[in-house]
Amino acid sequence: MKTDYIIVKEYCEKCHIDPSFILSLDEGGLVTLNEINGEKYLPVADLPEVEQYARMYYDLSINIEGIDVIHNMQQQIKSLHQTIKRLHDRLRIYEDDSIVDNLTDDMRLFSDKM
Amino acid sequence: MEYIDYYKILGVSRDASQDDIKKAYKKLARKYHPDLNPNDPDAKRKFQVVNEANEVLSDPDKRSKYDQFGSDWQHADGARAQSQDFGNGGTTFTGNDGETFWSSSTGNAEGFSDFFEQLFGRHARGSSRASYGFRGQDYTSELHLTLREAAQTHKQVLSVNGKNLRITVPAGIANGQTIKLSGQGGEGANGGPAGDLYITFVIVDDNDFKRVANDLYVTVSIDLYTAVLGGDVVVDTLDGKVRLHIKPGTQNLSKVRLKGKGFPIYRSEGSFGDLIVTFVINIPTVLNDKQRDLFKQLQDLNK
Repeated sequence: MKTDYIIVKEYCEKCHIDPSFILSLDEGGLVTLNEINGEKYLPVADLPEVEQYARMYYDLSINIEGIDVIHNMQQQIKSLHQTIKRLHDRLRIYEDDSIVDNLTDDMRLFSDKM
Repeated sequence: MEYIDYYKILGVSRDASQDDIKKAYKKLARKYHPDLNPNDPDAKRKFQVVNEANEVLSDPDKRSKYDQFGSDWQHADGARAQSQDFGNGGTTFTGNDGETFWSSSTGNAEGFSDFFEQLFGRHARGSSRASYGFRGQDYTSELHLTLREAAQTHKQVLSVNGKNLRITVPAGIANGQTIKLSGQGGEGANGGPAGDLYITFVIVDDNDFKRVANDLYVTVSIDLYTAVLGGDVVVDTLDGKVRLHIKPGTQNLSKVRLKGKGFPIYRSEGSFGDLIVTFVINIPTVLNDKQRDLFKQLQDLNK
């Protein structure tokens, strides 16, 4: 059976993470914890992001506010990449060199015959 | 195999203190860390190099061996033997001060150089990852499709880490689109969930059709006479041919839009984008005498 949530305390013990770090992520709006009967639960679907934030925090000494800024900027970069891709796809329609070359050749041949 | 100057990589002097090394490593790690440079293989490679340098220089044992044997590393058999002895004796070569969190998902440091392994042995790699690991490693894979394949819902068999996976590719998938197969990555540790498999689709350019989102663009050549006088032309679409009526006086590069004849819309069965047809008028390049006379007559009529 698929587990959708993991108890924060349990996760932190297994990963050697200070629970206060997860709570800070929650306070900073970077993850949303569920509280049931006084126990905090972390959605399993958020684990990849939590691990990424943990690497930034522990490996790179970036604080929660910095992680939040990076997270927002990465979303912006992602959106910009999508825009660039859309524009690039559209530009390709106008960059068909073979058509331009053919027209140029046709025009030259036609004038040679005149 | 070349000698690797770990001091140079971190930009520190040979007598740098542990604090200097730590500071230099963190600065470079913040620059090249895969989490901060997603989808950048060059940054990932640089991070691996920086990480390896830190692995050696931040560990007094490794650093001492490196300093002793590093510049003459070909004679490092002794050092390697020693490291194996240490390993057997239970000494770990974690190479970090407990702050490093090497989980087993994406973004970690994979890969050590042959130079490193020659000098310290395979077991000398930082071993903290396993103990911190919980969620399994994420795998990434690329699947190349033709435009026509991407237009059909079809099955594909992928081989990922020796395991064959049969997946259904929905019609309308976009170039560069990534889908996630949850739980198809590496196995988790300490009861953690498996990682995910991310498949990125690369759609190869088609000779006839160009795709922008759900619309397709095609160029159709028509002769000058049809363009001037009008007529019919048969146009290829993705699912067959259509006959189009060309209006008299059609201009070069004019376009018509065929509703619903474009690319299937992802996860929206029965919905399609449009096909935009651009007409390119072929000007005759060789004229016989009669044709030339007739064109001349036309030219005179327009004077």
